[in-house]
Amino acid sequence: MNPSLVILLLLALVVVAFQVGKARSIEIVGGARGVRDLHSLPGHYGLLTAMWCGLPALAVFCIWMLAQDAIITHFALSSIPSAVAHLSPAERSLLLNDLHNIVNGRIDPATVAESTRIAAASYQSLRETAHLALAVLIAVIALLGLLYVRRRIRADLRARNSYEQVVEWALFACSGIAVLTTIGIVLSIVFEAVRFFQLIPITDFLFGLHWSPQMAIRADQVGSSGAFGAVPLFTGTLLISAIAMVVAAPIGLLSAIYLAEYADRRARSVIKPLLEVLAGVPTVVYGFFAALTVGPILRSVGETIGLNVASESALAAGLIMGVMIIPFVSSLADDMITAVPQSLRDGAYALGATRSETIKQVVLRAALPGIVGGLLLAVSRAIGETMIVVMAAGLAANLTANPFEAVTTVTVQIVTLLVGDQEFDSPKTLAAFALGLVLFLVTLVLNVIALYVVRKYREQYE
Amino acid sequence: MNDSIPQAGPETVGNVRVPEPVFSCTDVNVHYGDKHAIKNVNIDIARQEVLAMIGPSGCGKSTFLRCLNRMNDTIPSARVTGRIALDGNDIHDKRQDVVQLRARVGMVFQKPNPFPKSIYENVAYGPRIHGLAADRAELDDIVGSSLRRAGLWDEVKDRLNQPGTSLSGGQQQRLCIARTIAVNPEVILMDEPCSALDPIATAKIEDLIDELRESYAICIVTHSMQQAARVSQRTAYFHLGDLVEVGETNKIFTNPRAKLTEDYITGRFG
Repeated sequence: MNPSLVILLLLALVVVAFQVGKARSIEIVGGARGVRDLHSLPGHYGLLTAMWCGLPALAVFCIWMLAQDAIITHFALSSIPSAVAHLSPAERSLLLNDLHNIVNGRIDPATVAESTRIAAASYQSLRETAHLALAVLIAVIALLGLLYVRRRIRADLRARNSYEQVVEWALFACSGIAVLTTIGIVLSIVFEAVRFFQLIPITDFLFGLHWSPQMAIRADQVGSSGAFGAVPLFTGTLLISAIAMVVAAPIGLLSAIYLAEYADRRARSVIKPLLEVLAGVPTVVYGFFAALTVGPILRSVGETIGLNVASESALAAGLIMGVMIIPFVSSLADDMITAVPQSLRDGAYALGATRSETIKQVVLRAALPGIVGGLLLAVSRAIGETMIVVMAAGLAANLTANPFEAVTTVTVQIVTLLVGDQEFDSPKTLAAFALGLVLFLVTLVLNVIALYVVRKYREQYE
Repeated sequence: MNDSIPQAGPETVGNVRVPEPVFSCTDVNVHYGDKHAIKNVNIDIARQEVLAMIGPSGCGKSTFLRCLNRMNDTIPSARVTGRIALDGNDIHDKRQDVVQLRARVGMVFQKPNPFPKSIYENVAYGPRIHGLAADRAELDDIVGSSLRRAGLWDEVKDRLNQPGTSLSGGQQQRLCIARTIAVNPEVILMDEPCSALDPIATAKIEDLIDELRESYAICIVTHSMQQAARVSQRTAYFHLGDLVEVGETNKIFTNPRAKLTEDYITGRFG
């Protein structure tokens, strides 16, 4: 019996359990007129029964499915003891691969050794038995749960509270998933980064001025210094983010002021969705716009005024990244400005302030912490942005503050290090994790500061 | 949009005119969209006098108050008609700059609304934008004297650089009054200035109003009839957009002439 069929069976049982629980609660108080004597509504008794029927069975199902393969494989291999006795780990894993491929019908059994065929046949029959056993077990557990609750249903059973308690656990579990994932990501980066720092001293990484991550695979290979000084990447990232913020901060802020304070409802209803379209453009589209349109334009403009602009320049990437961030800045600033209470504006108007004076000296002043927080969030987005810089900023790790030159960023290098063939014992690949760790820490700190500032501001007016 | 013919309300009981008024309002009507909020109101506001405006919620007293410094301009759906003359000049005249008008007619709001600035800067804001002080010393003088007149100086003189929002509710409201008188207006409008304050803070503000009356005309909207009786010389009773009765405060409260006024002040509704 297929596991998905088992799940369907369980679902059917859960539906039955709901009806049974509901019917039982009504029966206990002698029909629909007695429902007022029940502690909870009949539906709650149904839900409670359904949960007792479904949840334990589901847990058993999950554990079973996780453990099944290892156990069956163990038994299948023990059917051919002589063939597996002297295998090295690598040969053993090859054998297991063959075994699974035969079982799943991906290769012709005739092509492998006799012993593997025997193990595969054994595996297959064991699996069928296991699935059947699973189906029976699930059905028994589900029915036991159903009967257990059905017997416990009384007029004073607090089904609603028990059900709500379970819902609370479910909510907790969902939030736990997000937290656990974050922890998992951090740990995976940290462990690989630690391995990198065992090969390359952390001071060389943080303060080295030269980045050239090519490692010699053969001793006589040329042009592979393997220098891991990340300073050029940090400066490149900073340069591009700075250009982006120089574009995005004033334009985003001023457009937010226009939208929040000056625009009438009609203008607002047109401009705001258009700005949000800008936010919806995929970054890869921005990327090729920057690389194929803006880059060449900047280059030819540079030529006409006698500047030497590289076709992949920090300027092109930064400008377009700035455009990408405009809606982000503008909608955050808009929220902050709109959240300033009308009473403050009235106070300024009543003193004879014009609209412009009111905005500059009262509204913006009041919204400032929120706006600063929004800008910090925008910076952390700029630092983490990848696609635009991959396409438009280039790969050359130049240590420069000249926006007309090609630079490279932390994110670009992570991409190039991890694209293609990798060997996870080489500093070249591991360097990506060290870069990722630094990037993560920087954006984390920025986000924490930004959220702190924003929240502090929010408390003031709500 | 709506019927532009003003509905003739009942004639106001009592004498609405005074000699040499600061404000003289004639046939004032206010519409919010389709709602006729103020109906044909005629009233004068005298110098060196506190005029209290009372009436049940939604009767239009705050709306009328906001006409006097054209704060209703900030509400897009509001439409004000009729003649409101400040020292004989119509405030709706095209030559009248609303910014100058508001410098002459200050306003204190229901909820204290200090700016997110220091105590000093809160008071200095008005003089700064109107260029009232030639130098820092003069500005210091204005701030100091405004805070003194608002009865706040002794409580804040050592912490003028702290944010205005760090003060208590009553102090904030007196800061807002100081901010208003720093511009040296002719009239101060107060929209339920004590409704968010405790009784002690309220008493302080009421004393302050009594002192300020010597220099300014004050127009106060209040929900508290006791407060109107305590602070005002004249009282106007509004009901559903109509100005029902105007008269000397002690007469209105002891011997109201209109039936509606009597019902309200004897607590039959409100």
